[in-house]
Amino acid sequence: MTETLSQAATYDKADQLPDDVRAPLRDLILALADSKRVLGLRYSDKMLGAPTLEAGIAASSMAQDEWGHARLTYALLGDLGDEPKALEHERVASEYRSIAALDTGLDGWAGMTAAALLVDTALSAQYAALLDSRYTPVHNRVQKLLDEEKFHFQYAAGWARRIAQVPELRGELTEALRRYLAPALAWLGRDEAPGMRRLVEEGIVRDEPSARRARYLARVAPVLDDIGVAAALGLERRDGSTWTFTGELDWNGWDDATRRAGGELDEETAARARGDKNRALLMD
Amino acid sequence: MKEPVYEVFARKTREEPLRHIGFINASDGDLARVYAWKTYDEQNWAEMCVIPRSAILPLDPGESQFVTAPHDEHEDEIVHSRATGSYGGGDVAVKEAS
Repeated sequence: MTETLSQAATYDKADQLPDDVRAPLRDLILALADSKRVLGLRYSDKMLGAPTLEAGIAASSMAQDEWGHARLTYALLGDLGDEPKALEHERVASEYRSIAALDTGLDGWAGMTAAALLVDTALSAQYAALLDSRYTPVHNRVQKLLDEEKFHFQYAAGWARRIAQVPELRGELTEALRRYLAPALAWLGRDEAPGMRRLVEEGIVRDEPSARRARYLARVAPVLDDIGVAAALGLERRDGSTWTFTGELDWNGWDDATRRAGGELDEETAARARGDKNRALLMD
Repeated sequence: MKEPVYEVFARKTREEPLRHIGFINASDGDLARVYAWKTYDEQNWAEMCVIPRSAILPLDPGESQFVTAPHDEHEDEIVHSRATGSYGGGDVAVKEAS
C-alpha cells in the first residue's frame, strides 16, 4: 500500500491540526492529566503506613511520578490554547475530568494494589496509544512516562500476588479489583465517539478504544489469572490467547469528552489537586 | 512471614564494574526490582541488579556481609551484616572503626 503524503506528515503544532481534531485531542489530554493528578494524590495517601518500608518508599515515588506525568501532560495543553497553570491551580471540582473510579480514596492496601494494577495501567494503555502519534509534542513525551510506568505495573503485580496469598485479604482484593475493572475498561472510551474516530483517522491516536481495551486486558488479565481471580472478574481467554471481558460496560450517561457518566470530584480533593494550601507560594 | 533480602548492585557506565549499593526486603523478584529502583534512584545508573542474598555463597562466611542462616525457616535472616543498611543509597562501603 502506498502511503500518502497526508498519512506521512506530522503535526508539530496544534494549529496545524484539522479543526475537528483539536477539541477531542484537548479532551483526551485533559482527561489524562486530571486522572494522573488524582491518582498521584490517592497514591500519596498510602505513603505512610504501607505494609513495608520499601512499599511506602515506592508508593511515595509513584505518587511523585504521577504528578510529574500530570504536569507534563497539562503542559501539552498550552499548544491547544489553554493556560496550563490555570488548569492546574484554578479549576473547581466539577471541572475535573479525572477517572470517576478515583473519586473516592483507595480502600486499604488491597485498594491501593487494585488501583495501581487496573486504573494506572488503563492510563498507560491510553498513553501508549499516543506513542506513535503524528502530533509530535505528544509523541515526544510519552516514552519516558511509559518507561516509569513499567515499575508501577511490576509493583502492582507483585502486591497482587502477595495479597492473594493471604486468605483473610483475598476477598478484599477481589472486590477492589471488581470495583475498578469495568470502570477502567469503560474509561478507554467508545469506538463510536466521533471525536475519537477523527483522532484515529488522523493518526493522532494509534487505534480505536476497543483495540486499546484488548491490549489493556492482554497486560492485566495474565496477572489476574495468575492469582486465580480472572474468571470471578468476568474475564475469559478465547482462542487460547485473547482475553475478553464478559461483563457489561455501562455507558448510561457517558460523556465522551469528559470520559465520565456524571458525578464529580469532591471539593476537598480538588483543593489538594490545585495546591490551595500553598497558593501564596506559587511560582511562575 | 519474613521477607527475603535482596542485595542491590549497580554501575553508572557500561564500562565500570557492578558495585554493591545496598539491600532491600521484598517478597519476590518483581517487587525487589521496583524497590531497588525506587529506593536507590537518586543517581543516574546505567544498570541495576538485585540478587537474593541467599544466592550469594561467600568463601569465608565468617567475614562476609552476605551470610544468611543456612537451611532453616529463617533462611534469609541476616546473621551478620556490617556493610549495608543505608536506605539513602549511594556509596555504602564499609567504614571500619580505626
